[in-house]
Amino acid sequence: MKRLHWILLAAGLIVLAAVPWFGSDVLVQFGINALLLAVLAQGWNIIGGYTGYASFGNSVFYGLGSYGVAIAMVQWELPFAVGMAFGVVLAVAFAFLLGLPVLRLKGHYFAIATLALAQVMIAIVSNLSIAGQNIGLVLPPLNDDRLFYELSLALLVAATATVFWLTRSRFGFGLFAIRENEEGAAVMGVNTTLYKVLAFALSGVFSALAGGIHAYWITFLDPASAFDISLNVKMIIMAVFGGPGTVLGPVLGAFVLSSVSELLSSEITSFAGLFFGLVVVVAVIFMPRGVADLMRRFRRTGWRYFVENLKAHRI
Amino acid sequence: MDLLAQILVNGVLLGGLYAVMALGLALIWGVLNIVNLAHGAFIMLGGYLSWHLYNYLGIDPFLGLPITAVVMFGLGYVLQRGMLNLIVRAPMFNTLLITFGLEVVLTYLAQLAFSADFRTINPSYAGSSIALGPVVVPVARLMAFGVAVALTVGMWLFLLHSRLGRAIRATAQNLVAARLYGVEPRHLYAITFGIGIGLAGAAGGLYGTVSQIDPYIGATLTAKSFAIAIIGGLDNPLGVLVGGLVLGIIESLTVLYVGATFGDVASFGVLVLVLIFRPSGLLGKTA
Repeated sequence: MKRLHWILLAAGLIVLAAVPWFGSDVLVQFGINALLLAVLAQGWNIIGGYTGYASFGNSVFYGLGSYGVAIAMVQWELPFAVGMAFGVVLAVAFAFLLGLPVLRLKGHYFAIATLALAQVMIAIVSNLSIAGQNIGLVLPPLNDDRLFYELSLALLVAATATVFWLTRSRFGFGLFAIRENEEGAAVMGVNTTLYKVLAFALSGVFSALAGGIHAYWITFLDPASAFDISLNVKMIIMAVFGGPGTVLGPVLGAFVLSSVSELLSSEITSFAGLFFGLVVVVAVIFMPRGVADLMRRFRRTGWRYFVENLKAHRI
Repeated sequence: MDLLAQILVNGVLLGGLYAVMALGLALIWGVLNIVNLAHGAFIMLGGYLSWHLYNYLGIDPFLGLPITAVVMFGLGYVLQRGMLNLIVRAPMFNTLLITFGLEVVLTYLAQLAFSADFRTINPSYAGSSIALGPVVVPVARLMAFGVAVALTVGMWLFLLHSRLGRAIRATAQNLVAARLYGVEPRHLYAITFGIGIGLAGAAGGLYGTVSQIDPYIGATLTAKSFAIAIIGGLDNPLGVLVGGLVLGIIESLTVLYVGATFGDVASFGVLVLVLIFRPSGLLGKTA
């Protein structure tokens, strides 16, 4: 990246970090949600965008992170940080235990197997007494939106830095190789199973941390909302809208879509659901490689960009 | 023992219905290579359509099934022709996403149009049942099962022997060759998608007579349909019927012996296990 880009990025980051000091309460609360969604989209980007495995089960990590914090704080009366660590442990354990069999599947099979995992988790957690069964858990309240905001921002920076590291590390190149041609990668000496599981776990760690922050912020969680599949929809749509397999695309997608959805839902109540559905349909047809690719190519091709995308995959 | 017999009968009756749900998904997947994540949402729409036909026009849910199926066929045809044909050759991930978006839209519209309340289609014979020794067979479920089996077998015969069915199978095997023999793919894809959605609509109408409909049932039904298609394989409707029966029986047994909340866990557990050990299905050919 050019020096100008770095300066712009740093300036943007400073403005984002300063929001709780000049913004209204509503803006800060919106910011926390948008930042956490951006973390989820970025986490999904690692397994879905860079490794090429369309995971519909990342909301499971989010749920595990939420429950890690809730169980540690409510049942064991441990501090928040320990709860976060516990959530991460749960997510990594899950990524290894289920990732090993599930990541052997490809394409549709992988997508649907992970989709099923989320359903199974709801049923399992609803029957665990330590997790409050289907009633859920209530966490001790902490009224400090500024802290939650900065924590979320820090997590997003960490997730984005990790993805940036992927674009220039041996591990990251191994993941791209798997996405482009898994057999080829294996032949070239990439330990594909290990790499895939590590990518799944890494993706899960960020989702779990986001879930932990959200649980402590909201102070209440139940199985249906913690393992909500529509959250998984959102993170995928945001990553794909922004540009899967790019460093800043998912963050951009999350910010843009969160803002538009917030504006819409204040104008027309609960229009947000429909909006996300329509966005994904239109995006897949006209800009399947996301806003990041659109910005790169639009200057050269202009409106033909959309026509070319339209022509590329039709019958 | 009586209880076990009753559970098995319930499982078989449920399984027949499951088979019709999965039939459309398997057909679309096999021919168009699209895993339609909105399949459950179309089942839900079919259910509402049947419910409206019964409640406002007084059309018996079983007699109304052809109407539901034809309307849903039309919807499917238009969607494929106008939208999905545009991306049918895109990478698998894009087709998954677009049908996912479709599911979100349909669920949302259903919630707007029909509210989030539960609906059941309750014809006069809904409560009656036949006693076969110790086993009680509810009439509505038995009829739903009969229709389900008839539809599955009809679908099998259609694909095997009719001209259109052969064209569909030919396209599934080799699009280029089928084209050379005069198959017009845009139309044929739309017809295939329409048939799949029509079957989903019929399944929804049957589902409404034996269970509750609300706008959110789609996702679970899609996952179940997928599980059945995996167990039964994509190339044969009779395999799908077996897959439906297997899943129905497993679910009923789990509800009895493990607990009511674990019914869905069982079906998804089976799905994951089958995917891992037999990715081409229990009955499908090994790849």
